[in-house]
Amino acid sequence: MNKKFLSLAVGSLMASSAYANTLSNPQIGVVLDGYYQDGERNNSERSEGFGLGHTELNMSANIDDKFFGSLTTVIESHGDETELLLEEAFIETLALPYGLNVRAGRFLSDFGYLNNQHMHTDSFSERPVAYRTFLGSHYYDDGVRASIVLPTDMYVKFGVEALSGGKMSSVEDASTVGVYMANLKLGNDFSDSSSWQFGLSYLRNENGKVSEFEDDHSHDSDHDHDHSHAAAITGSNLYGADLVWKWAPDGNYKYSNLTLAAEYMLLDGVVGSEYKDNTNSPDNLSAYYVSGVYRFNPSWSAGVRYGEAESYSGSPAHFHAINDTEMDLMIAWNASHFGTIRAQYSRVENQESHKSSETDNVFTLQYTMTFGAHAAHAF
Amino acid sequence: MHSKLTFSKYSLAMIAAGAAIISSPTFALNIFVCEPEWEALLTSHAPNATIYSATTAKQDPHYVQARPSLIAKMRQADMAMCSGAELEVGWLPMLQARSSNRAVQNGAPSMIYASDFIGMLDTHDHVDRSMGDIHAAGNPHVQFAANQMISLSHVITERLKNIDPDNVPLYQENGSKFRTHWQQKMNEWSEKAAPLRGKQVVGYHETYRYLYDWLGMKQVADLEPKPGVSPTTSHLQSLTKLDANTFDVIVYSSHQNQRPANWLHEFTDKPIIQLPLTVSKGQRLDEMVDQVIDDLLDVLVTPEPEAP
Repeated sequence: MNKKFLSLAVGSLMASSAYANTLSNPQIGVVLDGYYQDGERNNSERSEGFGLGHTELNMSANIDDKFFGSLTTVIESHGDETELLLEEAFIETLALPYGLNVRAGRFLSDFGYLNNQHMHTDSFSERPVAYRTFLGSHYYDDGVRASIVLPTDMYVKFGVEALSGGKMSSVEDASTVGVYMANLKLGNDFSDSSSWQFGLSYLRNENGKVSEFEDDHSHDSDHDHDHSHAAAITGSNLYGADLVWKWAPDGNYKYSNLTLAAEYMLLDGVVGSEYKDNTNSPDNLSAYYVSGVYRFNPSWSAGVRYGEAESYSGSPAHFHAINDTEMDLMIAWNASHFGTIRAQYSRVENQESHKSSETDNVFTLQYTMTFGAHAAHAF
Repeated sequence: MHSKLTFSKYSLAMIAAGAAIISSPTFALNIFVCEPEWEALLTSHAPNATIYSATTAKQDPHYVQARPSLIAKMRQADMAMCSGAELEVGWLPMLQARSSNRAVQNGAPSMIYASDFIGMLDTHDHVDRSMGDIHAAGNPHVQFAANQMISLSHVITERLKNIDPDNVPLYQENGSKFRTHWQQKMNEWSEKAAPLRGKQVVGYHETYRYLYDWLGMKQVADLEPKPGVSPTTSHLQSLTKLDANTFDVIVYSSHQNQRPANWLHEFTDKPIIQLPLTVSKGQRLDEMVDQVIDDLLDVLVTPEPEAP
């Protein structure tokens, strides 16, 4: 009798603690990303040969009924070096009225369409050349964000950010708050089967303008060696426009669906006005990409992407205009919702004003797999 | 004295204006539901409410995009209802976070998960993704747990009264009307569906787990090799080796690809039934149950005239 009672008590204790654990434990998720690559894309984080890409460890939970917290660390290895990066460490409000939301800490900026999404959800093995040139692939920073969603049937969201701007800085004594960002997102459905989202972004970079040049070619050679995750090219103002359209038959995304996306970016105030009249002086650099990904059954998808980005090298005495173009073709197999194996071919062309253009073929074979908690995906 | 008077006049006006806003007869609850079945259930309980369903009968609720229009609808919701048990885990948390709406966050009384109030089947202590897309909290397709809708109706009535206290009598009346009607239908169904007891099914996903449990039927095999994993040729091949006496019918849902079912049908000559995943547009929940039972009876029972 006593024994029975004891075992019952222990049993119920264990059962209830197991239940409590699932409730109070943070959501822990791991992303594994590995690849083999032949060749290298410009301003890229992935180097030739075998390598690990964006290996992520994410933990998140509601802190209480008013705050949510999330921590994402990224482990990257380049040759013999292993880097541990803190990509996200933020708190966010859950209970502000009027559709208001405030986030503080380190987080991915809301600029553009792709930037606030985690890399493992991408359809291609690397961010478009526009992102690699102007945003360091994906721009995360320390700061605060406030946003508001309006109570309308059309999705209207307005957000502002103030960020330290360290990774976007091109000057020695940078302002403490270097980057301000404002963006507007609109979106709606055309019908049951298709939806769209349109965004406009403006990023003001107080430290973006390059006024002092140390010596010849310092600007680009700096970024070739280390994977600093800083933007390759900066300027005072970065403007962005993005448009995404998704379609699935009857809106049932399980069997097949199509995603079309395009983004345009314009960077100005790149170098000090005193250099404005120099030959090939970089001002108004633009970049864009268009992409289409079609999932033709639950396990297979294929996509194509074309992008261009203008940049420059050299110093006032010898500015060189650069134009990178990139054509990507990819095919991906999903073992399940949690694992992807992707083959991607890129034709990369690098046109520098003082050289003849270089063309390269880059081939990547990559896996991206996740285990543990799997956060919901954004549109 | 004078200033005091104007102040009280002003505050009176404010109170009156506030009261007018709150109790104005045009005030209608805005409700967001994840699946159409909860729209049907809530329409019976709150006929004045504006209800928006995130998915249609043709969409697999596991695979939904957290699209902007849904965030916009979520933003305006006074209340939300979903199946829960991780069915919507791939998109609902994104909507909750992006909507910045307190009313739809987990733990708020205005965020209802049906599976919190249903006796869940197939709960698991240990879940591993190698087992396919299964949920520790149990099978989330609770819209067919007809025998538990009355207790769910009690919960909904209480929550509605809580959220919209001005219309308590309305919710009270509609709730009890729903439950009385549902009880009548339950008696009718249990008599009508008696011949279905013991019938065995090859299904496509465990969508009708609660229905079969209630009606005494059994799903003996699945066209999916593992929950959520699409049928493979090798798995279908293995199903053709099933003893023909072990099942009566092949069942799939309206939103699913019908090829795997057809394929098995050609090999085994067993009849196929397409059952609805949820209510059709404007259909009531009891009409959906009527339809499902009729569809099953049509194929499984009518050929042998055994009418009571």
